[in-house]
Amino acid sequence: MEPDPLGDGVGTGREGPGGVAGPSTTTPGLTASQRRAEIRRRKLLMNSEERINRIMGFHRPKADDDTHSETKLQLEQDKSAIPAPSVSKRVVLGDTVCSLAGTADHGSSAIEHKAEKKDLFNIAPEVGSDGTSELRQRSRGDLMEQRTSQHGLDQYLSRFDEAMKLRNQLISEKPSQENGNAAEEFDSFRIFRLIGCALLAMGVRAFVCKYLSIFAPFLTLQLAYMGLSKYFPKSEKKTKTTVLTAALLLSGIPAEVISRSMDTYSKMGDVFTDLCVYFFTFIFCHELLLFFGSEAP
Amino acid sequence: MSELQVEAETAAATVGGAWLLVLSSVFLCNLLKILLPSCSSIISKLLQKDAEQEYQMRSEIQNMKQELATISMMDEFARYARLERKINKMTDKLKTHVKTRTAQLAKIKWVINIVFYILQAALMISLIWKYYSEPVTVLPSKWLAPLERLVAFPTGVAGGVGITCWLVVCNKVVAIMLHPFS
Repeated sequence: MEPDPLGDGVGTGREGPGGVAGPSTTTPGLTASQRRAEIRRRKLLMNSEERINRIMGFHRPKADDDTHSETKLQLEQDKSAIPAPSVSKRVVLGDTVCSLAGTADHGSSAIEHKAEKKDLFNIAPEVGSDGTSELRQRSRGDLMEQRTSQHGLDQYLSRFDEAMKLRNQLISEKPSQENGNAAEEFDSFRIFRLIGCALLAMGVRAFVCKYLSIFAPFLTLQLAYMGLSKYFPKSEKKTKTTVLTAALLLSGIPAEVISRSMDTYSKMGDVFTDLCVYFFTFIFCHELLLFFGSEAP
Repeated sequence: MSELQVEAETAAATVGGAWLLVLSSVFLCNLLKILLPSCSSIISKLLQKDAEQEYQMRSEIQNMKQELATISMMDEFARYARLERKINKMTDKLKTHVKTRTAQLAKIKWVINIVFYILQAALMISLIWKYYSEPVTVLPSKWLAPLERLVAFPTGVAGGVGITCWLVVCNKVVAIMLHPFS
């Protein structure tokens, strides 16, 4: 976006209907209100598409810094020039835009929307006086209808953006996964878990199994692992972005929920692996003992 | 209680080393799966005898190129052009040959893979078929409580370890054991 050439000499003569403003030249004959109208007209011409999108409820996640600075500047100028009490129904529209805005950054968007509100207060009487825009003639009902119709599309678009980000992440992750797969899969805690399970199975076969079920010590061990896990260095948590996660994200499930459920799923997988190793070792020891005939069940 | 013990003992006597048989089958299958690419390349080398011919053609082209380098294009243009045409023809022939051989190689590998997976499936199905009603090993049922029914599935023998459970366990353990080699 081009920086707004607002300076001391902002007021320019009109270049004709629909003509794009050229380099700013000072016109000393204009009054303050005419100057403001001119600024507004030029801004509208420069950012017409973006403004229409905002009014219609399309959200743009990538709000440029230029926009913020521009609106801030405009806000400061307008603050000094226009008194506050010109509240109209445009405020509602401003709020609508605010609520429809995605999850990008609330701080900056709040500033933006404040500016937008202020902007809209000011724009209303001038547009009316110019008679160039049809926005003023729109009733509130129409706007609300449009808002609801756009809401679904807007949500879908934001989700789609998230899914695309996820896809890019997936693409960037692939080579790193190929390189360091083996190293990542067997971290120290996992090896410790497996060895612990095998040793416990041997111990259980030797001493405990006559008195209680073989699954009781295993459950105790799992509880112990849950407590011990915080004392082990956590390997870099790779977020496995699969087609499934992308599909879930597109279907409207929040990313946080998906990541949590994936985490739970992986933990369940770990417990199942432990159980398999434990059970295998137990059976193996049992069969060895039977083979050598030292003990009968 | 004594009846149960007798039952368990008889079952154990009938099964014998079933657990070991299943374990070794699973281990062999997993090992073969790891070795499958190298196995298929060895088999394809044995089946394809065109490699020698290809090698001859390559050396021939090399010789002709050397010869071409010695000929002056200005002085003996006709000979030079003839030799160059010959080289081009031979190169084209070699390219077609290599293409055919590569396609054949891919086909052989595909067939080997398919055969392997079919054999593996057949082995697993036959194992399940054989040990559908009898457990692979038997433990006192109170050891496996409260999951004895799940572990014994589909045999229904109290304290028995069913084929499905044992296959799952073996697959997991063998996969962990062979992970460093894969």
